[in-house]
Amino acid sequence: MTSTRRLQKELADLRSSDLKSFKDIQVDEANLLVWNGLIIPENPPYNKGAFRIEINFPAEYPFKPPKICFKTKIYHPNIDEKGQVCLPIISAENWKPATKTDQVIQALIALVNDPEPEHPLRADLAEEFQKDRKKFFKTAEDFTRKHSEKRPNE
Amino acid sequence: MKVRSILNNQLINMSNDSDMDYSSEDNECEYDYYNTGVADVDIEQIDRKNMDSEYLEFKCLNVEEVEKLLNESVEHLSNTIHLMPSLAKVLLLEHSWQANEIIEKYNRNPNALLIRSRIKPHNAPARKPSSNEHMSSTSHQSSSQPVCSVCTSSQPSQNFFNLSCGHPFCKECWASHFETQINQGISTAIGCMASKCNVRVPEELVLSLLTKPNIRDKYQQFTFSDYVKSHPQLRFCPGANCQIIIQCKIMEPKKATCSSCNISFCFKCGSDYHAPTDCQVIKKWLTKCADDSETANYISAHTKDCPKCNICIEKNGGCNHMQCFSCRYDFCWMCMGDWKTHGSEYYECSRYKEYPNIANESVHAQAREALKKYLHYYERWENHSKSLQLEEQTLAAMRERINTKVMNGLGTWIDWQHLFNAAALLAKCRYTLQYTYPYAYFMEAGSRKDLFEYQQAQLEAEIENLSWKIERAETTDRGDLENQMDVSEKRRITLLTDFFQ
Repeated sequence: MTSTRRLQKELADLRSSDLKSFKDIQVDEANLLVWNGLIIPENPPYNKGAFRIEINFPAEYPFKPPKICFKTKIYHPNIDEKGQVCLPIISAENWKPATKTDQVIQALIALVNDPEPEHPLRADLAEEFQKDRKKFFKTAEDFTRKHSEKRPNE
Repeated sequence: MKVRSILNNQLINMSNDSDMDYSSEDNECEYDYYNTGVADVDIEQIDRKNMDSEYLEFKCLNVEEVEKLLNESVEHLSNTIHLMPSLAKVLLLEHSWQANEIIEKYNRNPNALLIRSRIKPHNAPARKPSSNEHMSSTSHQSSSQPVCSVCTSSQPSQNFFNLSCGHPFCKECWASHFETQINQGISTAIGCMASKCNVRVPEELVLSLLTKPNIRDKYQQFTFSDYVKSHPQLRFCPGANCQIIIQCKIMEPKKATCSSCNISFCFKCGSDYHAPTDCQVIKKWLTKCADDSETANYISAHTKDCPKCNICIEKNGGCNHMQCFSCRYDFCWMCMGDWKTHGSEYYECSRYKEYPNIANESVHAQAREALKKYLHYYERWENHSKSLQLEEQTLAAMRERINTKVMNGLGTWIDWQHLFNAAALLAKCRYTLQYTYPYAYFMEAGSRKDLFEYQQAQLEAEIENLSWKIERAETTDRGDLENQMDVSEKRRITLLTDFFQ
């Protein structure tokens, strides 16, 4: 099956490339369609913690895009309370079968580091981000301290 | 008179005659009737193009005829700018089938046009397949077969295809990509599989790589639908399961009627015909009604009490001129006022009187006033819509009554035909009147609105007269009725003239 062969290759490539901002990749070898990993942002207010995400690949992968969900609570204009994230590169309209998971993760990390208040999932946070950056940073830092996972030794 | 006596004899003798005899003899008078009818239609047709502002010239085409029409446009463009027909088709799709615009742009800068239409890639085409990142031959593999970057399998190079952008992928992956896209309803917009590449996949490649017949059918159906939808002169008939496509040279908000399923609709937006309200406003109005309908339904009840004797009355006909069956009081169903004040000069119950000092009132009062205003227009809109449905009942009752009359020798069937014409005209007038209310609701207060509502009131009055006369057809003089029909239609045209100019 296309999805298995492709996912095996991608997983191997990703593990060998040893990304600085995406670590602790856990995959059940019996079910390659679900991946787990830790996002390690560089920019404040998220740079004091690590955030666990789950990547779900559809059976039709790579002809249909994967879905990404945050397992760790995060105070972010583009990520909602349920952990859903709006990432254009994996939307059904924009998806390209040749796009690699590596590129998807890079896009996700870029979004976490630099929120896009113009396309918010949580309008209230986007407004706060734009109007009262100080307050936003304070709450987001508190949130990070309270909910995020420990960063793997750097 | 002669015709009447023949028919009367026939009716009397009918029980003795066989059906065959009856119909053959009947032909004679029918012939006379239709003969005059045909002459009328001829005059009407000549008049229509010049006189009738509502008239729309359109054709009902089937799928084959439309395909032929589209192919002719493609061929013409292809010959003019010397481009492959499949590419010419893409250009037409992207430019709403405006061949002249395409030719002009093509002559100015062919490259820019092809890039914008997703025929050519933004950047220079990718390097030769062998050294491309999407198809890398890995050195440690014994065979130097290229690898497809989508399925990561190595295959002989003849299995690979690329578009003008030079991104090669294997046949199986292309086919799976097409299938997935088609199942999501995407057809003419299917693009290359490479990241950030937006080059469009040509129709021939899709068709040559798709093997499943049902997916091929789907693809051809979807592309055809894309072509028709992008064409300003074509519109699918909105009737359920109707295969007809309406062609009209000018995009206008006028009424087109499908020759196959008989559905009527506005050619411009495809929803129910709505003159004199325009396409955006009617959409706004219908959304508003859908949002507010529960409040409105709650407030506007189905029955009302007679203003004089307070007996409960349910409306059973379309006419708003009510006569209480109990106390014989004549009143208006809309405003519950005395009907005597509803002569054409004083007919005011279609007009909403804005409360002049509203800006100084509290928010609460303003909200109440806004609701009152909306309900005023909504009730009238809804009332005409209900009346239109009730008019069906009136018509059925009328048919029944005419049958009885004819059986009793009171005139012939033909003698009463004018009543059906009158009923048809009444429905037409009521329909237009119904659609004047959304227009008036969104209209800004001022002299234009005053004039519009004055004309609207005039039509209201004439329609109610007409409706009253039709419901009491037996006692109405035919000349009087026809005069009333003429007046009503003139009022209707007056209301529409402004809209179509």
